[in-house]
Amino acid sequence: MISVTPAQKSEKEGSENIINVNNLHKTFVTGFLPYGRVSRVLWKTWPRGAKVLSNRVEAVKGLSFSVRRGEIFGLLGPNGAGKTTTLKIMMGLIFQDKGEIQLFGHKPGSLQAKKRTGFLPENPYFYDYLRAEEFLSLVAALTGIPRRERKKRIHEMLKRVGLEEAVDRPLRKYSKGMLQRIGLAQALLCDPLLVVLDEPLSGLDPVGRKEIRDIIRGLKKEGKTVLFSSHILSDVEMLCDRVAIMSKGSLRHIGSLDELLKDDSGTMEMVLNGKKEVLDELLEKWEGSGERIGEKARFITESAEEKDRLLKKALEKGLSLESLAPRRSSLEEIFMSKTGTIDEKRSGESQSKKKDEKEE
Amino acid sequence: MRKISAIAVNTFREAIRNKILYALLFFAVALIMASIVVARLSLHEEIRVIEDLGLAATSLFSVLIAVFVGVNLVYKELERKTVFFIIPKPIYRWEFLWGKLIGTSLTLAVLVGFMALVFFGVLMIMGGAVRVVLLKAIWLYYVEVLVISTVALFFSSFSSPFLSGLFTILVFVVGRLTPDIEMFIPRMGDEWLKTFTQAVMYCIPDLNLFNVSGALVAGEWVSIHGEFVTWLYVGKATAYGLIYGGIVMFLAMVVFRRRDFV
Repeated sequence: MISVTPAQKSEKEGSENIINVNNLHKTFVTGFLPYGRVSRVLWKTWPRGAKVLSNRVEAVKGLSFSVRRGEIFGLLGPNGAGKTTTLKIMMGLIFQDKGEIQLFGHKPGSLQAKKRTGFLPENPYFYDYLRAEEFLSLVAALTGIPRRERKKRIHEMLKRVGLEEAVDRPLRKYSKGMLQRIGLAQALLCDPLLVVLDEPLSGLDPVGRKEIRDIIRGLKKEGKTVLFSSHILSDVEMLCDRVAIMSKGSLRHIGSLDELLKDDSGTMEMVLNGKKEVLDELLEKWEGSGERIGEKARFITESAEEKDRLLKKALEKGLSLESLAPRRSSLEEIFMSKTGTIDEKRSGESQSKKKDEKEE
Repeated sequence: MRKISAIAVNTFREAIRNKILYALLFFAVALIMASIVVARLSLHEEIRVIEDLGLAATSLFSVLIAVFVGVNLVYKELERKTVFFIIPKPIYRWEFLWGKLIGTSLTLAVLVGFMALVFFGVLMIMGGAVRVVLLKAIWLYYVEVLVISTVALFFSSFSSPFLSGLFTILVFVVGRLTPDIEMFIPRMGDEWLKTFTQAVMYCIPDLNLFNVSGALVAGEWVSIHGEFVTWLYVGKATAYGLIYGGIVMFLAMVVFRRRDFV
C-alpha cells in the first residue's frame, strides 16, 4: 500500500487538467549546426548560409491540447506526425523551441513532474545484462522507493505484468512482448498518477496486446491518467476516452471517441434477406450503393426518403428486413480523412491519371 | 546521493560484465608477466626491469581502459536508448553524469588494483619487495586515469565514441608531453602561434605530474629506483587532478543539461 502525500491528495481534489500543452513548437536542426541556439540565430540572420550548413525539420507546429484527470487519452497519427517528439518534450528528454507544457502544473523535466509520471518509451530497450529483478531494483532506487518496500513491490509488479517465470533471465533473452511488459513494469513501479506510453501495443501478438490493454484498463480503474500514442486504431477504439489526431506536427482533431465516430449525415445501412434472384434484381435497379454478402444484400441509403423508398420496394418484393442501423464511420476512415491521407492519395491518383492521359 | 550510487553501481556492473574489458586486462597481465622474460635478458637488473615494465604496463592499460570505458559511457546510453527510460525518472541530469563517473572510477580502481596485485606478485616471486614508492606511483597513475575518464566523459557527452576516443587520446599524448611543449613555446617564431599554443596548454591537463618516475620535479631528478616524490607532492598532484576533473565535469554537465535526446 502506498501512502498518499498531501501534494498528491490536493492534486486529486484539485484542477481537472493533468497535462496542458499550449502552442508547442519544435524544430530539429541537423547537419553542421546541430545546436539549437546558434542555428536559430543563424536561420534568422542569414537563412541562405544556414540552409547550406544545416537542415530543419519542423516536428511539432503550434500544438495545443490538454489531458483530463482519470481519462485514457490517445495521441493518434501516422509515422512522422510528431507524437513521439511531443511525448519526449513532456518527459524532459528534449526541449521545445516555443510554447509551453505543464504536467501537474510543473515544467516537464522537473522533479515534481517526474515523480508523478511513469513513462514507457517506444521500442523499449533496457540494460540487457541485467535480470528483471536487478533492473527493477535499479528503477526502485531511482524513483526513491524505500529499500524495505522494494522486494515486495518488485514481485507484485512482475506478477502484474506476467513475468514471474522469467525473473531470473537476463533481459537480453527477453522477447519483444516481454520487453514491452518489463517496460510497463518500470513505468508503473513507483505507482505514478500519470502513465505515458509511447506505442505500447506495437509489435505485439494479439495475446500480448490484449494483456497490455487489460493493464491499461486496470490503470484507469485505479484512477490513474493514461496518455498513449499509437497508430493501431482498433486498440485506440477499444481503450480511449478521448483522442487527438496529429498529422505533420499539427493537431487535426481532438474530442471524445463517441463524438468522433458519431455520424449525423443520416446515412443508414440496411441489410435485406430473401430470394437470391430478387435481391440481385433490386441491387441492379438500385441507384445507390449496395453489395451482396452471401445470402443477403447490404444497401447504403444517404437520406430518410431514400431509406423509405428502398424499404417499401423490398417489402413489396417479399424481402425481409434483417437490420437497419445508422452507419458509423470507422475510426480508420476518420483517421485517414483527418490526417489528409485520403486527399493525398486521391490527388496522387489524379496526378498519375493526368500523366497517363498526357502520355497517351 | 542514493540515486547517484544506484547509477554508479549499475555502471560498475555493466563494465565488469563487458568481455572487451577482460581482453584488455588479459593483455595487461600478459605484459606484466612478460617482464619476467625481459628481466632475465638483463644482467643483474631483473628487479629494476620488472618494476619499470610493470608500472608502464599498468599505466598504459589503465589509460586504454579509461578511454574505452569513458567514451562509451554516455554514447552507449544514447545508442541503446536506455537514456529514454533513465532521464524521465525523478533524477537530475547531473546526477546521471556523476553516477556514471563514480561507477567508472570504481571500475578503474578495481582494475588498476588487480593489475597492481599481479605486478606485485611477479615482483615478489622474482625476489623484489613492494616498496612505498611503488604504491605512490600506482596511486598517481590512478589519479591520471580519473582525469582521463572525465575528459572522455566530457567528449562523449556530445560526440561519437570514435571522435571522443580520438580527442581523449590526443589530450593524453599532449598532456604527457607538457614539459616538452612548454620548453618549445619560447622558440616559436610566430606570436599568434605562441599565444595559441599557450592557450591550448592551459586547457590540457599536465599529465606529467602523475608520471614522475625518471623525470625532473622542481629541479630534482626523481625515480622509483632512487629518490622519489614525497607524500605532500602526491597530495598536491591528487588535488590538481581532482580540481581539473571537477572543472571538466562541470563543463560536461553544462553540455548535458540542455541536450536533446532524439
